[in-house]
Amino acid sequence: MNLGLLATVLLGGLAALDAAPVAQTLFSQPLVTATLLGWVWGEWKVALETGVVLQILAASTLPVGARTPEDYASGGVVGIGVALALASQQPFQMAREASVLIGVLVGLLTAVGGVRLLKWQRRSHESLSRWCEAEIRRGDESALARAHRAAILLAFAVGMAYCAVCLAVGLWAGSGLVAHESLRLSRAWAMARPLWLGLGLAQLLSAFIQRRLSRAAVFGFALIGAWLVLMVGMP
Amino acid sequence: MMERPLRNATLLRMGLRASLLQATWNYERQQGLGWAFALAPAIERLYADPAERRDRLAEHTAYFNTQPTLASLALGAVAGLEERRAAGGGVDHEAVARVKVILGSSLAAIGDRLFWFTLRPFSACLGVLVALGGSWLGAPLMWVCYNLFHIGLRLFGVGWGFRAGPTVLNPQVRGRFNRLVGSLAVAGAALVGVVVAVLLVPGGQPATLVFQALLAAGLSLGLIAAQRARPSPTEWALGTGLLCVIATWFR
Repeated sequence: MNLGLLATVLLGGLAALDAAPVAQTLFSQPLVTATLLGWVWGEWKVALETGVVLQILAASTLPVGARTPEDYASGGVVGIGVALALASQQPFQMAREASVLIGVLVGLLTAVGGVRLLKWQRRSHESLSRWCEAEIRRGDESALARAHRAAILLAFAVGMAYCAVCLAVGLWAGSGLVAHESLRLSRAWAMARPLWLGLGLAQLLSAFIQRRLSRAAVFGFALIGAWLVLMVGMP
Repeated sequence: MMERPLRNATLLRMGLRASLLQATWNYERQQGLGWAFALAPAIERLYADPAERRDRLAEHTAYFNTQPTLASLALGAVAGLEERRAAGGGVDHEAVARVKVILGSSLAAIGDRLFWFTLRPFSACLGVLVALGGSWLGAPLMWVCYNLFHIGLRLFGVGWGFRAGPTVLNPQVRGRFNRLVGSLAVAGAALVGVVVAVLLVPGGQPATLVFQALLAAGLSLGLIAAQRARPSPTEWALGTGLLCVIATWFR
């Protein structure tokens, strides 16, 4: 197996851990995994292009309350991994753009599909917590640590297995498309990229503004100010 | 002044264990098991009698849920209550459970706004802004920006909650958190403005008209989509992505 793919699958397991079970430090966010995978594969441009789009969409997905959010930990790793693996076989810019489009689409599908898997894990923890309480009452205080070890191991194994399966399916489906339809896919990327970036940024803007006009004005001033500086240069 | 049985080392161990608060999250007790695991170092130190210790631990596996980072404050406050309870200070099971419920819901209300609605999107915007320039420094910047608050509060929040007790979330602290949320939201709105400008003028050259129009369309669609919970932003993105592929296929 390719070393880059192996590292991608391993990173899938680690990202699945960081997403919720351990620490939640944003290590699992697409921009971070894109940077790591870009370094592993030696291809920053493709990794960052895929990572930026997935990151903006991931940032607007909130794990609030009991809602199970889309699994952008696996989605990010798989999407970026697919884009990098496909682009590594393509010397032309057009085909590389097609790879990034396929990567983002596979990443989004993986993130959506991962919700069911997360729910299954959460349901399986119900019996684990009942077992744990019964063991503690029976006199085994180490049950708490054992239950946590089991949950972490499960999350890591499921994360790795899910990433491996999605990566394999994404590469199988994407390689033929990129090889034969790169022109159309590259055009689709030119259309989809600004739409995705706009969609994600609007979600973030909505979270920041919270229907307050003063904050909307700050957004407007910053946009115009930065635009002027970029167009005309610093005064 | 009498020395308290719970020392800084125990509180730090609790802070470290709070990293696993969500490891066994489930629909029945939510963070209950993780809460008991994080509180275990304090319970072990306070209760020498194994039967009593087991009872306390089992009690704490009951339902609990809050924002995971700010849970450290509740952990510290409840450890303080358990300390008084172990010393026979008139604290009973109901009092501990009440404090857990009250702190859990009020910390969730503030924590969700601070971490999920402002700090995480703000850090992501900062990282994306740097990454758009093609630099790998965006990811480390995003990580550091978020974790200065996240890891700091997680590790040292237990000590804060322990010293302040159940009134850890007094109006003064609540006001400080609210001001922080407000400032981050204003800075975040400005940051989104800068990101949009950078997308419109990449490398000092204006982007194509088609790109500008599509970005504006995406922003408008996103603002409309943000008013509804369903479809989720990801489902919108999938839909628009597939539409783009279909559109280019049949052009």
